[in-house]
Formats: sequence, C-alpha cells, structure tokens
Amino acid sequence: MSVAKLGAILLIAGTIPVAPASAQARAAAARDVRIEGHWVRKDVGGAGSFGGLADQIPPAQLTAEAAAGRGAGAGRGGGPGRATGPAPSGRPNPVGVPYIVVDRPCANPGRGNGALLINPDSGGIHIIEHKDEVILAGERGGVRRIYLDGRPHPNLAGRVPTLAGHSTGRYDGNALIVDTIGLTPGGVPGGGLRSPETHLRERIEAAADGKTMTITYTWDDAKIYQKPHTYSYVFDRLPAGSYAFEDWCDAGDPIEKQSIVPPPQKP
Amino acid sequence: MKQHRVAACLCCAGAIVALASHLATAQGRQSAPAASPRDFSGFWELSFDSRHVPEANLLPAVTRAMRTERAKKDAYAIRWCNLLGMPFVMDSGRPLDIRQGRTAVIIVPENASGPRYLYLDRPGHVSEDIFDPTTYGDSIAHWEGDTLVADTIGFHPDRGIAAIPGGGYRTATSHLVERYRLLQDGNILSVVFTWTDPKMFRAPHTYEFRYFRLPADYEPRTWLPCDPFDDGRTQFLEGRAAGSPAR
Repeated sequence: MSVAKLGAILLIAGTIPVAPASAQARAAAARDVRIEGHWVRKDVGGAGSFGGLADQIPPAQLTAEAAAGRGAGAGRGGGPGRATGPAPSGRPNPVGVPYIVVDRPCANPGRGNGALLINPDSGGIHIIEHKDEVILAGERGGVRRIYLDGRPHPNLAGRVPTLAGHSTGRYDGNALIVDTIGLTPGGVPGGGLRSPETHLRERIEAAADGKTMTITYTWDDAKIYQKPHTYSYVFDRLPAGSYAFEDWCDAGDPIEKQSIVPPPQKP
Repeated sequence: MKQHRVAACLCCAGAIVALASHLATAQGRQSAPAASPRDFSGFWELSFDSRHVPEANLLPAVTRAMRTERAKKDAYAIRWCNLLGMPFVMDSGRPLDIRQGRTAVIIVPENASGPRYLYLDRPGHVSEDIFDPTTYGDSIAHWEGDTLVADTIGFHPDRGIAAIPGGGYRTATSHLVERYRLLQDGNILSVVFTWTDPKMFRAPHTYEFRYFRLPADYEPRTWLPCDPFDDGRTQFLEGRAAGSPAR
C-alpha cells in the first residue's frame, strides 16, 4: 500500500464519526421489530381462565431437596397472595346485603413493585425501550427495570431481595435477553420455586409482523431444579393509539370489598 | 517528492483527526449527559433549591372553604394509599426515573403512584368520548427545538392529590403545559409547568422545577410500603397517635 493510499484511508477513517454508543446501541438501532409498545397477554390455547392458563405450563422438575422443602413459598410471584374476605357462611345473603369477598381491598403487596411483570396477568403491559434501560410497566403493579448499560448484578450478600429482582439485558438480534436475580423467595408458575440466587432468564421477542410478542421464561437453579424450568407467554400488541389505563382502587371505598348485591326476587 | 509530501501530510492529518475523534468519543463516555439535548433519559432528583414557585393568582370564586374541602380529599388520598397523580408525582420526595422511547416518555416515581406517560406518537388527545379522566390525565408531547412540550388534559377532579404548587388545585377543566429542557451540559433538567383553568386561575400559573441528574449507575429503591389498614399509621396521620420515645 502506498503512503498516499494509507494517508487517504486514515483521513477517511478519521472523519467517520465513531459512535459513542456501544455495540448494544448499534444493535438496537439496526433492529426493525421492536418490543416497545402496548401488550396484553394472550390465551393461546383457549383455556378461558387463569387456572386453565396455569395448567398449560409444564410442571417444574424439582430436586428432591427442593420438593421436600416446598410449601415455604406463598402466592403468585412470591407475594403473600390476595387478601380474602370472611369464609362463606353457606347461606345466601338477604336481598340488598352485599357479599363481602375482600377484607383488605387494594392492599396486595404481592402485586406491587413490579412483581406482576415477572408473571403478567390480564392487565396491559407497556414497554419503553431506551439504549440504557428498558422499562416494563404494568397497569396493575409498578415497573420492572432492565439495565442495558453494562452494569453487573449486585452482590446479593446483604441485599434485600425484591419482588422484581435485579435485571440486566442485552439484545440478540430483535430479541431482548434478560437475566434476573435477587428475587424474593416464593413460587413460580408450573409448581416451581425461586430463591434470591435463582436466575430467571427471559427472551422477549416480537414476531416478524410485530403483532405478537413471546416471552420465554427459564428458571435456572441447580439447588431447586433438576433441569431449567421453561415456559412461554404470548402477548398481542394493542392497536396504535392505545394508552395505559389507570387501575384505580380506593381502599377507603366500602364497595371495593363487595361482590354482588342480591336483588329482589320474583315470587 | 511533492506527491510524497502530500501523502505524508494526508497521513498526519488522518491520524490527528482519527485520534481527535477517538478522544472525543472517550470524553463523551465520561460525560454521557451531553450525548443528546433531545434525550433527557436518566435518574433525576429535586434538591432544596430546585423550585421556583410564585403564588398562583386564583379566581375570587375559589373560596377558602373550597380549598379546605379539597385539602381534605388530598389527605384522604394519602390516608388510603390512593394513586396520587399529577402534579404530586413530579415532586414526590424521591428521584424520578425518566426514559424516552420511540413512542413515549415514561416517568417512574419511587412510590406506588404508578408510571406517567407522555405519548410521542399521537397527534391529538384521546377523545373525551373514550377517555376516562385519571389522576395523570392524558399527556401528549412533541419537540420544539431542544424543548419537549407536553400537553395534558383529562384530569380526574377528585382522585389523588390535586394540590398545585403555588396554590389552587387541578379540576376536570385543568390544562397543563410542561416544557422539558436540558441545561448545563445535560446535568440539569428544567421543567416549566403552566396551568390554566377557567374555574381556578385568573391568569396562567407558571412555575419551574430544576432536577439534578443522578449518577448513571443509580439504582432505584423499592417502594416504601403504604398500608391503608395499618392502624398505627392511620392514628398518626389523623393526629390521634401519642408520641412515643425512640428506642
């Protein structure tokens, strides 16, 4: 190569702006199918109920030690479960007397702090993608943050586990690959368990037509599982112009405790 | 000979430009906030000197009794751990996580109030025929130069904490315009709030908050619990709790 050519190449190389962003940002810019937007979980198999949806999840293969110790965890996502009302008396209520089904309405800490974004229910999910952080926001229960800025997971020693844990991510083509640790101990769909040391790996990917999104969950913990526990949820993208609903619940409103009010009966 | 001199000059120039470019890149990594004046994503915090809030010029029709009644509703929202809404969320006592995506800006407080969205992909507000008023209202935003202008209507008149800094409170007819702009190499986020309301203000009520950027590796804290069925908390909020010495 002549000196002249080398000089020209260096000159050109010097004038090409070097992107300050990382390879992550370049990958993000190159992606054409994004997960940003509004989503709602889909009943793929036509189960028709939350119980039916849960039945579609393959059972977790627990280690003998984990199976022997199960029962320590509580409700969905490790939360304490929904506060329920008094046990039914077995007799119908008189006309006009409402059935009280919830003692402590709007006060389910198991839903808060992003817990529902680990195991989404029927509420809408809204995803915002930024080069340093992706936020999954639920209409009923806070947000999850997935850090893309290269930060490592924190040392779990001395760290209080949380309902959403600590999540880091990277892009693999159009898919967002997420790794989460630091979750509160508790249950996992399919009869699984989790501890703060358990790794939850998620692959979040929109279909080529952008209309659906699949989150594949893999729970990995040699102390708990004989093999990684994997299942998927599918979501439909909501139409353009959609927006997040506000999930209003007023614990001070007595009607929040009620179910139906028996109407007058015909003789 | 002349050709070699030109080549040598080109070589030196190229090397210098390349070196300068890489140095600029390295500096850019150290001062990431200056990356783009049109991306104010980050963690932001108000300080004791962050607020410039003049007194609102309220309509005479807004009586003391009305303001007292509204204050009771704000206290109710706190007592029952309701969603607190605007404008409280912008000054909730903890940092805000603001992230700007392609379709929306999300503003996430470190409390149970839920995230707020400024939609970038809608030319107009959701029709009043469809939109159920909320504590945040319906916010759409667009860029004017390096300023993001957010326009919000559709506030719920009763829910959440409605008190507006400087006086007055939001109602169903409130209209809020916010202007977000980065200052000082992206280390300060200025938000200028302007409220208008034919039932509340004699003139547009404008105030400014200046948020300080937190380190990029900041980690938000888990929400502090809010239990509306905690009797001790309720007694405290209602002034019925006798003070007890700290142990």
